[in-house]
Amino acid sequence: MTTDSGSADGDDTIAALATPAGTAALALIRVSGGRSRVMAAALFRGDPAALPERRYRHADYRALGGEVLDDAVWSFGVGPGTFTGEDTLEICTHGNPLIVQLVLADLFARGCRAAEPGEFTRRAFLNGRMELTQAEAVMDIIHARSERALVAAQQQLRGGLGRHLEELIAALLGVLARIEAYIDFPDEDLPVEDRELVRTALADVLRGTERLLATHRYGDLLRDGLKAVLLGAPNVGKSSLLNALVGRDRAIVSPEPGTTRDFIEEMVHVGPHLLRLIDTAGMNPAAGRVEQMGMAKTVERLSEADLILWVTDVTQASADVPVELRPYLGADIVLHVRNKADLAAGVSGGMDGGGFSPALPIFTVSALNGTGLGDLRAAIIARADALRPAMAGDEHIAINARHADALRRARESLASAAAGLGAAIPAPIELVASDVRGALDALGEVAGRVDNERMLDALFSTFCIGK
Amino acid sequence: MSSDLPVYDVIVCGAGHAGCEAALAASRMGARTLLLTGNLDTVAQMSCNPAIGGQAKGQIVREIDALGGEMAINTDLTGIQFRLLNESKGPAVQSPRAQCDKKAYQFRLKHTLELQPNLKLFQATVTGLMFSKGPSGVRQIVGVHTNLDLDFHGRTVVVTTGTFLRGLMHICQNKNEGGRMGDFSAKTLSASFLEAGIELQRLKTGTPPRLSGRSIDFSQMEAQRGDAVPTLFAFHDTRDPEPMFHVEQGLTGREQRLGWDPGTEQVPCWLTHTTERTAQLVRENLHLSAMYSGEIEGVGPRYCPSIEDKFVRFADKPRHILYLEPEGRATNEYYINGLSTSLPFAVQVEMVRSIPGLERAELLRPAYAVEYDFAPPTQLLASLESKLVENLFFAGQINGTSGYEEAACQGLVAGVNAVRKGRGESALIIGRDEGYTGVLIDDLVTKGTREPYRMFTSRAEHRLLFNHASSELRLAHHARDFGLVSKSRLERIEAKRARIEGWIARLEASRPTVGSGVGQGTWADRLRRDQGRSGENGLGGVELPEEFLALGDADRAEVLYRVVYAGYLERERRHVARLQDVDKVRVPADFDFDAVKGLRSESLAKLKAARPLSLGQAGRISGVNPADISILLVHLAARRRTGQG
Repeated sequence: MTTDSGSADGDDTIAALATPAGTAALALIRVSGGRSRVMAAALFRGDPAALPERRYRHADYRALGGEVLDDAVWSFGVGPGTFTGEDTLEICTHGNPLIVQLVLADLFARGCRAAEPGEFTRRAFLNGRMELTQAEAVMDIIHARSERALVAAQQQLRGGLGRHLEELIAALLGVLARIEAYIDFPDEDLPVEDRELVRTALADVLRGTERLLATHRYGDLLRDGLKAVLLGAPNVGKSSLLNALVGRDRAIVSPEPGTTRDFIEEMVHVGPHLLRLIDTAGMNPAAGRVEQMGMAKTVERLSEADLILWVTDVTQASADVPVELRPYLGADIVLHVRNKADLAAGVSGGMDGGGFSPALPIFTVSALNGTGLGDLRAAIIARADALRPAMAGDEHIAINARHADALRRARESLASAAAGLGAAIPAPIELVASDVRGALDALGEVAGRVDNERMLDALFSTFCIGK
Repeated sequence: MSSDLPVYDVIVCGAGHAGCEAALAASRMGARTLLLTGNLDTVAQMSCNPAIGGQAKGQIVREIDALGGEMAINTDLTGIQFRLLNESKGPAVQSPRAQCDKKAYQFRLKHTLELQPNLKLFQATVTGLMFSKGPSGVRQIVGVHTNLDLDFHGRTVVVTTGTFLRGLMHICQNKNEGGRMGDFSAKTLSASFLEAGIELQRLKTGTPPRLSGRSIDFSQMEAQRGDAVPTLFAFHDTRDPEPMFHVEQGLTGREQRLGWDPGTEQVPCWLTHTTERTAQLVRENLHLSAMYSGEIEGVGPRYCPSIEDKFVRFADKPRHILYLEPEGRATNEYYINGLSTSLPFAVQVEMVRSIPGLERAELLRPAYAVEYDFAPPTQLLASLESKLVENLFFAGQINGTSGYEEAACQGLVAGVNAVRKGRGESALIIGRDEGYTGVLIDDLVTKGTREPYRMFTSRAEHRLLFNHASSELRLAHHARDFGLVSKSRLERIEAKRARIEGWIARLEASRPTVGSGVGQGTWADRLRRDQGRSGENGLGGVELPEEFLALGDADRAEVLYRVVYAGYLERERRHVARLQDVDKVRVPADFDFDAVKGLRSESLAKLKAARPLSLGQAGRISGVNPADISILLVHLAARRRTGQG
């Protein structure tokens, strides 16, 4: 029986994150199915016929649009000698959720689909890669994974996502009912067909879908990472500290200019976290008298900061922060970094903590030779770990890559429907209906399948049908 | 005396639209077939409006023709008005519809039955079923009892009871037993089903009054005429000559027996509407309506509400449109479409006379509602055979459907499968991606229905593939595999397919060399750019090759459709291909769902209730999620490996 393979359509290629989400330093993304080979070749510029097998290779992961998402390690395995028994591509990236989601989104755009819970294991079993005795274990895995996915999905759906999706689906059912009524009941005594109403409603749904997608792509957490501000006087070594942190963890995005020339921003991985390091180059606290413009901007940065690295020079006995900035330096978000430990072999103690109460945690480091950086990184990770739940608040609609993929397909269908309706000579309405149905199916993948009966309910309650 | 009678391969009970197709399909496959009907004068009767086709139904009728059935040709040869609906909405949802001469329709079909080799017609009412224990211990049907105390023995039985199973007609408080005014009720048969453990429920439907034409003032109404060029239902370009009526071959000759050319001399329908007075009459008498006074327990269809329903549910709508449909050429009787009711007769008369043009109308027959038993179709296999009684097949309204076309396509499938079952051969199962017939049967056996089920194009997720003109090409492999059409017709179908595909390839590959299209890509590119938006039948002003324009209309339209919709059709096919993976995985009939670890309890309950026979079917049950399907897939694979499956 052909279906023993679990995918009679050899092109049905699935992708998913194989490592636990969120916490690890590295993420493993697995792609399984007939298209893995061409995908590997396309991604990493290889000859599909001569891909290195079972070798780990280092390469930039470039998205379809050409941008580098991460530097990745990849390997390609030929079925049936793989876990699933199918051609398999494994991509190892940094464990940052943003990268994982961007990579998954890109794989979906290249024609993979999101794996169902436990699907890799299912395929492994169906392809004879597991013993018969393991069948029950396989079913357990599928059950457990789907329960977990279900719980996670329900949590998300209970929050903003579910409400927004249900609104979109209800609106879309209304749109479809308005279209279908005129297709299925052409001889009925219906009001004059109002395509403008359909167009407006479709445009609303399209906007709603885009808003939801935006929370994925431009969500504060995911886009910006944690905002970490480097605060300190010139010459204390902020730049070299920044370079040291960046050098150790390689920037994934080339330095982007700050919003003003006063700030330099750099995206940095620290452990599983993405940090947006913001260097407040213009500040001169030692002068005691700060230029008002620069101060205002610094205040703005500090007020948005998730983490502040207050950098001082270990060789200078006294360190101070302008009084205007003090309110922003809560002990819970500030790490006091005393730099230039290499220059102060003899200097120990003797420095003042800036008079903070409670005292700030202090890290004595050398950006130059790396002394103490390990401890600092650990502290940053600990802080970021503590911060994450607070950032994913109730109002934050977290959308994972699978949801985003479905929403993106919904958007595509909706845009096509809108274009068909809006054309100078409109597309046949059956094609518009097909697009709307496609959008409903896609939204249904996130919110639960939308049964056609619901459309008929909407239709019969809106229109008096029946000759 | 029963032992003297021969054993039939197939016994069909009921000669309505389902029964006639079942009997013809079975006998045409060479099976010894008996068709029993309570009244031979009402064979293939249109109990409600005298029309065939319309949305989705028109496509079904064309599918019936593709599968060697009779409804299409019978409609073409007895139609008195033809219209193609939805011309502006795209080729896939265009549907042919015809008004038929009600009596001519019956006579021609009855004559067809009479001339059909292997088929015996007999007038008797089936009163009970005869069962025996089969070799596997499962109850089997072996024959039927009739009201004449004659028993008939058959290997298989197809039951098509329509509205006759404990049929009860209502006009206000007035009740009459019967499935149709003037006819009987099959009262005792229900007991046989219950005895076999088959569950029965009640449904309700209704029909409007009939009027005398000479009492109607048509000058106050708007005429609705047929299309100048009728869209016919049968595939006349590939069909074999009709042995019965071979004088009118190809529709260029004469239908001598009827006295007119099919599609010519069409007669109009007439439009009028209810008035404020009609609404007032309904409101004042609502308490007398059988449907509103609690007299009727059956569930009626939402899409075919009574006039009471319309005024109650849509109180803000001041008036409702009504169509007067002629019942035939040789009668002056009119059907008033849109005025179903179970109000008392006196109110009906007043109501009719409140309508413009009907001020002095005379009612020939009252409107009434009818309640009847149906057997929830989730008790059936996809072959339409009962899961509870072997060799017993169901088709038509007993399965909870409504409509002549819905009944007919089921009848055809049930007839074919009864023969196949008797021969120990695999069943004809039409996919959801192959046609409306497939969608209809899958919906019934998978989800069941709470109201009389009518087909809508919107029920078919792949309807873009279901343009009416492609029915024959879509279903030809079934017609061939099951021997439903002649070899010569199959050859013509394949030649047509080759012509169409050849032209698609040519239009995709070659470019215009003269005229406005030069330099704009291939012919196909040009056509798609216009996306059928030119309003010129998809030609889009593109100057197509002379040779192409010389093709037959049907071929040309199909080529253009497939070229212009290529992207959409490809998307549908990809979608279908993915779904087929799970559709191919069969679930054994005796499968023990309780033995599967890890199914969610909600899914388990639903799976046990529906007893799906393929994973695809299981996945379409609402509340069963992909993870459950995944688990079943693994379980079934493990079963197969251990040799249990």
